[in-house]
Amino acid sequence: MSDSQIIVGLEIGTSKVCVAVGEVSGSQAVNIIGLGQAKSRGVRKGEVIDVALAEEDVRNAIVEAEQVADVEIRSLYLGVTGSHVRGFNNTGVHPVVSADREITGDDIQDVIKNSKAINLPTDHSVVHVIRQHFRVDGQDGVLNPEGMLGAKIEVDVHVVSGRYNRLQNPIRLVNGLHMEVDDIASSALASSLAVLGTEQKELGTLVIDLGAGVTEYAVYSAGVINHTGALAVGGDHVSNDLAYGLKVPLARAEQIKIDHGSALIDPEARDLTIDLSDDSLIPGRQVNLGHLQKIMSMRLQETLELIAKDIGQAGLIEYLRAGVVLCGGGARIPNITKLARDVFNLPVAIGRSSTVSGVKNALDEPEFATPVGLIKFGAFQAQAAPRRAGFGRVIRRQVAALFGR
Amino acid sequence: MDVNPAIRLIGLGETGVKLVETLAVIAPEGVVAHSLDTDNRSLYRCHQSRTFLLGQAIPCGLGTGGDSALARAAVESDSDELAGIVDQADLVFIVAGMGGGTGTGAAPFLANLAKQAGALVVGVAATPFDCEGIQRCNQATGGLRDLKQVADAVFHFPNQDFIQLGDADIGLNQALEIANRHLCESVLGVSRMLLEPGILNVSFADLESLVRNRHSLGAVVHVEATGDDRTDDAVKKMLSHPAVRGGEMLKEANSLLVHISGAELTMAEMDTVTSAIGGCAPTARLVVGASERASGEAIQLTIVIAHTGTLAEMGDDTSSLKPDPAGKVSGLGFSDPYTAFSADSYLDLGTETGNSKRAGFAYTPPAPTADALPPECREDLIREAASEEPNRVKRRKIVQEMLPLEIVSKGRFENSEPTIHKGEDLDQPTYIRRGAILN
Ligand SMILES: Nc1nc2c(ncn2[C@@H]2O[C@H](COP(=O)(O)OP(=O)(O)OP(=O)(O)O)[C@@H](O)[C@H]2O)c(=O)[nH]1
Ligand SMILES: Nc1ncnc2c1ncn2[C@@H]1O[C@H](COP(=O)(O)OP(=O)(O)OP(=O)(O)O)[C@@H](O)[C@H]1O
Ligand SMILES: [Mg+2]
Ligand SMILES: [Mg+2]
Repeated sequence: MSDSQIIVGLEIGTSKVCVAVGEVSGSQAVNIIGLGQAKSRGVRKGEVIDVALAEEDVRNAIVEAEQVADVEIRSLYLGVTGSHVRGFNNTGVHPVVSADREITGDDIQDVIKNSKAINLPTDHSVVHVIRQHFRVDGQDGVLNPEGMLGAKIEVDVHVVSGRYNRLQNPIRLVNGLHMEVDDIASSALASSLAVLGTEQKELGTLVIDLGAGVTEYAVYSAGVINHTGALAVGGDHVSNDLAYGLKVPLARAEQIKIDHGSALIDPEARDLTIDLSDDSLIPGRQVNLGHLQKIMSMRLQETLELIAKDIGQAGLIEYLRAGVVLCGGGARIPNITKLARDVFNLPVAIGRSSTVSGVKNALDEPEFATPVGLIKFGAFQAQAAPRRAGFGRVIRRQVAALFGR
Repeated sequence: MDVNPAIRLIGLGETGVKLVETLAVIAPEGVVAHSLDTDNRSLYRCHQSRTFLLGQAIPCGLGTGGDSALARAAVESDSDELAGIVDQADLVFIVAGMGGGTGTGAAPFLANLAKQAGALVVGVAATPFDCEGIQRCNQATGGLRDLKQVADAVFHFPNQDFIQLGDADIGLNQALEIANRHLCESVLGVSRMLLEPGILNVSFADLESLVRNRHSLGAVVHVEATGDDRTDDAVKKMLSHPAVRGGEMLKEANSLLVHISGAELTMAEMDTVTSAIGGCAPTARLVVGASERASGEAIQLTIVIAHTGTLAEMGDDTSSLKPDPAGKVSGLGFSDPYTAFSADSYLDLGTETGNSKRAGFAYTPPAPTADALPPECREDLIREAASEEPNRVKRRKIVQEMLPLEIVSKGRFENSEPTIHKGEDLDQPTYIRRGAILN
């Protein structure tokens, strides 16, 4: 066990704070050895709005994970999300200057450096630069151009960026609890790493993480990440709509949603009612199940359609040969796969963290995709840049094609 | 080019942001509102104005905790973006609460940028209650002075004034609410006066000639009255307005801009107003404007009172407007001890951080006390304060009318950035936006 390494993933989510502890052995197999959770009170739409509350919730989740896994957590990989996080593609270009036109390691370094010269708004900073493919003299799909002959080398990258200060907020929170952030990763990326296998990435898949505050999505095709996005709309919006439409308190609406919710309208439910009299606060109150389903399905359909439109505009729908994979708490809504199938006209499945093993609980629940994915992200990172214990900077970062095949 | 002056309303710090958010809803069309703070939390609450976080690197959205030097460092690092905000503006209102870090530190710097961009700069500053402590009051005084030295005019609203209007046990919140309403009304009054067409037009040039480069410290008074005696009532209200300090302010004024608006305004009414004001302010230069655009039967008076500070003596074009000697003993008394600072001296303050206490800061303005007011006037003021309630209800109604879409409360998303996608507010329930009927 001496060569195994502990990697921790933290998601400060809108509904829950979740810490996953993984053990990575030399062979890159990830074993989840502990989970810690706390109800999240200081986060809206994926971003911390109340530092004191969020800090307390993170501390509680960490303590629980430490106890379960029997480790002391000193550093972790942190998921970041929010409406300010966006993804786009960029291309780096570099002329091969050597006399014999043979592409060297230096050329590859240079073209990658060039791809990172991105014109971001001044208040934005880069979260990821993920390598997709190289091109040599216009020839597509080159995996490793070193040693090839050519005059011009290009590299396509997917860039994820966010507002600097809004990325810093959760980092500072973690630092304030005397832990280091090994690196940050966008939640969309992390979740996709958790639920997708190699084949799905090759064939082309859209992953959607239906969270409480943010709905994130990522598209893979030909083995690499092609498109990411985040909509600051989620399960909280469903509950808020229900609270308003059914005239019940928000907490009650959340419960009704979990107990009776559905992504589709069942014509038979039109005249059915749900009795709320078990709630002493609202004696004798009833709500109409048809109304509930209508309000809920309209919100969910709109959310999925916004994503479909974005993917469509990027021209990626036809590349999704392995269909759509749903994760996040919203993946548990009854009939959500059916609704998504209607919207995307593609096969839809619920994501399971199939490529890691360990605490069974963590693998079965779609809402743990982000923290589990962060461990996989961390494992890739650690492999690319082995940890030097004690020398950690606040953020260690290696730009490489880590996620892909 | 647009015929109307380009007016920018910029709120700095929590107080400024709060006020600008309110103003943005009711301001006349064409006024562009910006909210600037070092604190994310206050910007998250903004839905009406354009927001900008000061100091992305430091303090990166966490506020200054009262450190005005930190705020100054933040605005200095953002000066390119800030210059963009004031670019092409004719008139810039800088609204801030003095005494905290952000408003105090950022307002003078921004005012200077706006001046350099060629705008007429009017500061609108609230200063703390006495009970907030001597240190905060001193910091506020310093900020006010720095602001005055760069801005063309600063309208000063001491919070303490409003507390003294009511009973001894008036709540702080209540006092702030009254203060905020006065602040908002004055900014609105001036904007309307410049933007709405009138029978006797007060133009931007009039305001400009009154305040440009005068660095005056003054007040804006805005009152409304209805009924048969609307003119007399309005004049009475105006004279009992806290900012007029029982007529004191008018007596010492160098110039006054009076704007009267009301439906079916008569010559007699205009005469009543101007002679009443003229009688109180014998030495002031008077500019009068009038407009018949008004809501309902109310008459509205907006009076810009300018005191020329001693700094103005340095400009030669203002020599004709030297304050008369008596004017120097104004209740505010800021000008004298601080004339030693040259116009750009505030720029040095940024480097003068750390342990060095700023030289001029030990001065606290004498808070105007209730005793200083003549008894009749105090009675009036108290009555005024007591009659605030119906007014407030009226204003709310107007806000509602102008925001027909704001039907659904933001509920859970009250304190977060709204999710706007292609102009649509996704926080509102989908079924409502799509017009679905539940039956
Ligand atoms: N008129 C008025 N004054 C206020 C209000 N809220 C606060 N103040 C005053 O404004 C002063 C400055 O406070 P803030 O605006 O919160 O400070 P800030 O500029 O955000 O500064 P930091 O938070 O320290 O960076 C306070 O000392 C109060 O006296 C308000 O609603 N109305
Ligand atoms: N059975 C269910 N039916 C309907 N909604 C559900 C169900 N189970 C969970 N949810 C919803 O899923 C959401 C929580 O999902 P998740 O745990 O993925 O969010 P999060 O990670 O905390 O939030 P985010 O990633 O947006 O910050 C909540 O809004 C919850 O109401
Ligand atoms: Mg999540
Ligand atoms: Mg503040």
